[in-house]
Amino acid sequence: MSIKLGSSELAKYPFLQEASTYIQETKFDFEEFDRPEMIHIINRAVEKLESELKGKIYSNLDEYEIEIMTFLVSLLLIKSIGVEEISRKCSLFEAMRVEKFLSTDLSNERSLQKKKLLVQKIFQELFKIDIDVDSTTIICKLSIADYLHRASKMNEQEWKLINRSVKDGYVYLDTDEAVRLIRNELSNLIYTRIKNMKVSEVPILIKSKADELKRKYSGRYVYRNQFKILEYPPCIKHAMEIINKGENLPHSARFMLATYLLAIGKTEEDVIEIFKNSPDYNEKITRYQVEHLAGKKGSHIKYSVPSCDKLRSEDLCFAIKECENLINPIQFGRRKFK
Amino acid sequence: MNQIGNPTESIDFLREVFRKYYFENKYFPYLYSIEKREFGYRKFDSLVVRHLSFKNAGELVAELIRNVPLDVYYSNAYYGLPSNPINEKQWEGADLIFDIDIKDLNIPCFQDHSYYICNLCGFVNSDQKVCINCNKGKTLDISIPCKKCFIAIKKEAAKLLDFLCSDLGIKETFIEIFFSGNAGFHFHVNDPNIRNLDSNSRSNVTDYIIGNGFMCESIGVRKSRNGFMIKLPKGGIMTGWRKKIASNLGINQKSELKLKHIVETSGGYEGFRNEINKITKKFGVHIDGPVTNDIHRIFRLPGSINGKSGLIKTKCDDLESFNPTNDACMLSDSEVCINLKTSLKINLKNNNFRLDNTLEKVPSYVAVYLICKGLATINKNN
Ligand code: SF4
Ligand SMILES: [Zn+2]
Ligand SMILES: [Zn+2]
Repeated sequence: MSIKLGSSELAKYPFLQEASTYIQETKFDFEEFDRPEMIHIINRAVEKLESELKGKIYSNLDEYEIEIMTFLVSLLLIKSIGVEEISRKCSLFEAMRVEKFLSTDLSNERSLQKKKLLVQKIFQELFKIDIDVDSTTIICKLSIADYLHRASKMNEQEWKLINRSVKDGYVYLDTDEAVRLIRNELSNLIYTRIKNMKVSEVPILIKSKADELKRKYSGRYVYRNQFKILEYPPCIKHAMEIINKGENLPHSARFMLATYLLAIGKTEEDVIEIFKNSPDYNEKITRYQVEHLAGKKGSHIKYSVPSCDKLRSEDLCFAIKECENLINPIQFGRRKFK
Repeated sequence: MNQIGNPTESIDFLREVFRKYYFENKYFPYLYSIEKREFGYRKFDSLVVRHLSFKNAGELVAELIRNVPLDVYYSNAYYGLPSNPINEKQWEGADLIFDIDIKDLNIPCFQDHSYYICNLCGFVNSDQKVCINCNKGKTLDISIPCKKCFIAIKKEAAKLLDFLCSDLGIKETFIEIFFSGNAGFHFHVNDPNIRNLDSNSRSNVTDYIIGNGFMCESIGVRKSRNGFMIKLPKGGIMTGWRKKIASNLGINQKSELKLKHIVETSGGYEGFRNEINKITKKFGVHIDGPVTNDIHRIFRLPGSINGKSGLIKTKCDDLESFNPTNDACMLSDSEVCINLKTSLKINLKNNNFRLDNTLEKVPSYVAVYLICKGLATINKNN
């Protein structure tokens, strides 16, 4: 028996192999984007990107052909904007859009066969993850190694192996969790597509839209886009773990954690959210303190992250090899984007 | 070895015995992919040499016989270029190694067979204070594990084995258990599927085995505005740590009410969390986490002599029947005279030794053991 994904499903996953085949088969040419009837598609792509840049998932869904074209135009737009942070952000929101569709599809799909097919397409074809859907419980199972390669990059305590269903070398996830697990990879996949796209000439219409978007949005990213923190330093990780366990952090450690998170560009809201787990959490006080550290209250001085020396003297340092030569935790894991 | 206060005669004696051992035991059957490993050793003066590499066992043995180190180590990692500096070695994966040690188990008898050796003059004190002989040195504790200690550590090892096989699903053929030669066990896991786990992933595994970081939410107890609420996870509570905890609490997927009651009687969310912490402590294994998480570490080489005891790091095929003080004691029987710093009793190679005099004639393996521990020196008139 052969089961295929229908075009209504494929519309949601325009990055699958099928989509490129479609483009090839219809002998589609970039120049066609300069034809007036394409304006609808281009506007739709612009609308989608603007929504993503404002931090909203674009959930509007159209027919297969239109989705594929929109996806293609979006990539072209992002490519010609050429701002790292915009590429990252749009890739992430594109991934979250897929995540949303996939979660719904997987939980609504009645046919086990079809569900397996969908899971297989996305997880196995794209990411080489061996994942299976258990026939009775409709729970996904994947090997511990496959799980850890992804989950160990997530900071939330609930993704730690100890908080998972584990048996005989497998981790069991419900469909939402399984889909969440690949968000980063999905986002990277889209990001790489953009990076690797070789476009000799961008159609004029798209180029002018891209310039417009760039003027409008790139200003927000000038400062933030130089560095990307690939991983938290051990001192910060340690403090996060304590918080996540719901245990009390000493004042010095809170100071370190909050200043660090603010320094790497987390918003005050993000920071407050993280402190919510403290046993003595008080929203009002925490908010005041965080705003104070951010330089909005009281002295109006923005506090900087304590140095490694200072943290060492406060017993907050858990240096590892990668910490060699660091003066401040903020330097940890920083790679300059070329 | 506690080399403080060990005269050169003692060191010369040890070196001869060690050299002979390596000469007669040229094979390291549990060492594979030699050419991809980094080697290192500790010399008798405590200096550690690292970043060595050997093409085959022959080259390694030649080096051991030539230099006679106190301890020999090799990397759990496989490298493309093992002798390069750490960042240029081309890491290709690493065995997953677990370390459990008697001293971490808090066994009550441990104090009874601990000795406190001065770090300056080598004097054996009866207490853990400033040395009463020189009035300056601090005391280091040295222990001679007893039968009870070994029973306890073997039990811990069995627990670890169960975690590895049942929870992590590792096939027993990929697990090698070694007695470390002193007071613990090393588990070497060489499953190719987990060789490439990074340090973060490994720390997820160690936390799992130790029982670190279990959240009440994972078993369905959440904090809420009016204290707590029950919402069992969709994935169920009948596997992994969820199951260990559920069965300890006597609940299953349908016991929402019972769980609610349990949380109430333990004093709400906070009280329940303390309960959970007690359970995870009880079921977790006392492994040394950072050791496992390190993917560039060097470990004692199986089949080599442990310089802290003179016993061999020995493969253990059956935990139950394994007898560390016999099965790992492989040095010569020829008798020598030693000067003892304290009277003591030990059991080695299934023989009981009761040593009350300051001068005693004992088999070499006993002499080596006690000199390594810092409790005796070789007698010059041998
Ligand atoms: S060296 Fe600095 S960055 Fe590393 S753990 Fe210590 S304080 Fe943190
Ligand atoms: Zn002394
Ligand atoms: Zn004991």
